[in-house]
Amino acid sequence: MQAGLLDTHHNAVSTRRSPAWVVTGLLVAFYLLLYFGKEDYNATDAAVRYARDPLNLMLVKLGWKLNDNGSLWVFNKWYLYAGLYTLGMAVGGYFMLRKHGNSTYHRYRTYSLVAVQAVLGLMLPLVLDFLGRPAWYFSYFFPLKYDLFFPYNMDHMQPTVMAWFIVMSFVGLPLLVYFKGKRVYCSWICGCGGLAETFGDPWRHLSDKSSRAWRIEQVSIHSVLFAAFAMLGLVIADGLAPEGHAIHNFANSYKGMYSLAIGSIFSGVLGTGLYPVGGTRVWCRFGCPMAAMLGLIQKFGRFRIAVKKDMCISCGNCSTYCEMGIDVRSYAMQNRDIKRASCVGCGMCAHVCPRGVLQLVTRRDAGPGQHTQEWTVDL
Amino acid sequence: MHFVVVGNSIAGIEAAIALRNRDAHAKITVVSYEHDHPFARVALMYIFCGQMRLQDTEFYDRELYARMRFERVRDLVTGVDPVAKRLSLKSGSYLHYDRLLLAVGSVGRRLPWPGAYDQPGMHHFVTLPDLEGVNAMAKPGMTCAVVGGGLIGVESAEVLHLRGLKVHFLIREPWYFPVALDNAEAEVVAAHIRHHGLDCRTATPIDGMERKGGKMVLKMPDEELPVDFVVGAIGVVPNTKFLEGSGIALTPGGAIDTADNLESVSTPDVFAAGDCANVTWPDGSRRPEQIWYTSRDQGRAAARAMLGDDVKYRRGTWYNSAKFFDIEYTTAGFIPFAAKPHKHQGVGAPGEEAHWQTWYQQVPGQAITQRIVCKDGRFVGFNGLGTRWDHQVFMRWIHERRALDWVLAHMNEARFDEEFVEPFRVLPSATLVDGA
Ligand SMILES: Cc1cc2nc3c(=O)[nH]c(=O)nc-3n(C[C@H](O)[C@H](O)[C@H](O)COP(=O)(O)OP(=O)(O)OC[C@H]3O[C@@H](n4cnc5c(N)ncnc54)[C@H](O)[C@@H]3O)c2cc1C
Ligand code: SF4
Ligand code: SF4
Ligand code: SF4
Repeated sequence: MQAGLLDTHHNAVSTRRSPAWVVTGLLVAFYLLLYFGKEDYNATDAAVRYARDPLNLMLVKLGWKLNDNGSLWVFNKWYLYAGLYTLGMAVGGYFMLRKHGNSTYHRYRTYSLVAVQAVLGLMLPLVLDFLGRPAWYFSYFFPLKYDLFFPYNMDHMQPTVMAWFIVMSFVGLPLLVYFKGKRVYCSWICGCGGLAETFGDPWRHLSDKSSRAWRIEQVSIHSVLFAAFAMLGLVIADGLAPEGHAIHNFANSYKGMYSLAIGSIFSGVLGTGLYPVGGTRVWCRFGCPMAAMLGLIQKFGRFRIAVKKDMCISCGNCSTYCEMGIDVRSYAMQNRDIKRASCVGCGMCAHVCPRGVLQLVTRRDAGPGQHTQEWTVDL
Repeated sequence: MHFVVVGNSIAGIEAAIALRNRDAHAKITVVSYEHDHPFARVALMYIFCGQMRLQDTEFYDRELYARMRFERVRDLVTGVDPVAKRLSLKSGSYLHYDRLLLAVGSVGRRLPWPGAYDQPGMHHFVTLPDLEGVNAMAKPGMTCAVVGGGLIGVESAEVLHLRGLKVHFLIREPWYFPVALDNAEAEVVAAHIRHHGLDCRTATPIDGMERKGGKMVLKMPDEELPVDFVVGAIGVVPNTKFLEGSGIALTPGGAIDTADNLESVSTPDVFAAGDCANVTWPDGSRRPEQIWYTSRDQGRAAARAMLGDDVKYRRGTWYNSAKFFDIEYTTAGFIPFAAKPHKHQGVGAPGEEAHWQTWYQQVPGQAITQRIVCKDGRFVGFNGLGTRWDHQVFMRWIHERRALDWVLAHMNEARFDEEFVEPFRVLPSATLVDGA
């Protein structure tokens, strides 16, 4: 339950006033630089150059290098990015929990998100790299990690690692989602969702609640899902086709296009850049193929938000603070349990409801409409 | 047929929707002076503190009027002429009706201090104009008094405190919210309010008020308290001043007196629903029900009556929920209150002998309590602070006449909290006392 009140609308950064646009500008610029800026050295070159100097080697591994004149330079922007990202989540998580930390659910899932990012998103890949082993991000699966099965990954992927990614992508996560809901991934593990839940918390209420947005969402997210699986098919066909076959060219340009349009621009530049003006989950809601896939499973699974009958006072806190733009209130007012593919199970609607109307459940028994009997009690 | 609905809040708009759903061709006009769209009055505090904007509290999309083909009249109704079947509007025009629904809600009950309203400084927290008034008045660093220990009182005290005012929360009764909480529960709430830094005083009657040097000085038995302004939260009264002299029968309290089908007892083709309607309670008493969900039900029932159905409006068993700062409160069934014993709640036949028992516990050091009331060994009511409960489950158990031990053994089935919270447990400190 929400402790204290939020003064969201007295805060210029949270309400699309000029500071919000400045932050958006900075974020967009940052991501453009990150994705389209120059790669510095490549890892093997530098490793050779600095191998004899342990200090330099360590710096290189951490994403920095000493220039010949002794100044410090960014060397591998991706590790630097992972470090900044983790920092953003940790600091954002701290502020998020200052507001909502009286909720055990929010505490646990925030710890989980930050820990997954710090360990699987930063430290383990670093350590593997130090040890000279291929570095993998073990918490990202297909189709979110769209290039998982690209040749440049498959070529040096150990069989156990491959087994982990294949089993988790196509069996493990779908099963977990069936039983516990999409939130298992989107609100407890995924780094993209993790940034939204922590760093992005001041902007979660900005999501578009209109039914038009819902219609767009249904088309756009499933199109990306289709595009991602089409690409998987192409990658497989590409691998099987004989040398010189026309499909190789097509597959390559398709992969390039997807990487640019979806991987860099949509999920990165827009996905995070638009936080301060479009809400935190623009990518998760309109673009993420993982969300689309897990959402379809969630729709048939056990997870739902149960509604306490006839207790809703229509105040609107739930809908306002739903980052996925779900009009939770309209369900609550009609005493209808909420079973929506897009719900990431963040639990915020239940948390901010001042009348305790909502509950995230995975119980099997009660289906929608269970709580419909009118109890007139005579004493 | 021209239906006119005055009031577009929960009672009015639900009635209008129900009318349209049944009658595709009728002309339906919805009149309201406050806002173009229905909004949740219960969320005033969230608008004040910036948790939501007014438009976030609109509980239907803005296309509702167009979709339902409601005519929107944004005006204040100043009188009703039931003979000519027309309303007079503040703008000077008239509006004819065939059937009229009055869902005009409440206004804050005025404090009885002489001269209190002659000059600025007296506020309420019920309507949008009230909200604008307090919003313009309240500046951080000011001192204010919230008078009245009910739900609107605690909500206004909370948001004023959050804005950085020094808040004196003054309650006449011996403890906070005596119509719902007992002494022990109220003490948990009061301690929590004080912990937030408010001055929360119980058993503090105010004899009057005087304006001195730009301040309002509240006179209490052994103290004078100067404040910059006062929010009166001593309850609400039906918003029916404009009906006086119209011939539409009002109760002494100002509510529109209605028959079982919510039609005015005096005036045909005039109906009332929501806060302004005098209705029959399950115990037979007649008074308005000033709550959100019953206003909705009344609106729907009144619409059916206006369409000619044979309707008898009766509310079901009592339940409610509220929030006192961070403490959530759920109640279901019958909880007798000690401060004004059995005033409205005629249980059983008058003078009937019954064995009442109350089971109570508080989780040590936390604002979490549960109270279970039994009558003749059967569960009849529940009060819970600090955790979430499904009132429907309790109502079922009351209906099934469960014994206390059975209820205690099944309490976790009624929990409605988020995951990972401590389950309900019977603590060694729990008490069971005779009497309710
Ligand atoms: C601060 C606050 C908190 C509350 N919290 C809760 C809660 O937590 N739970 C709960 O159950 N209840 C709560 N209530 C009570 C609840 O808001 C009311 O019971 C409910 O709003 C009644 O609805 P209604 O439709 O009868 O009238 P109202 O909501 O009072 O609306 C009256 C409507 O009539 C219109 N109107 C009035 N007079 C005229 C006129 N002369 N001409 C034209 N239009 C007119 C107004 O514009 C408005 O649209 C709270 C009330 C307040 C003020
Ligand atoms: S929707 Fe996609 S990006 Fe967002 S949290 Fe879920 S899996 Fe991650
Ligand atoms: S419906 Fe509730 S749990 Fe689901 S995404 Fe929205 S706020 Fe989160
Ligand atoms: S479900 Fe809760 S938060 Fe949502 S509108 Fe109803 S009372 Fe408000």
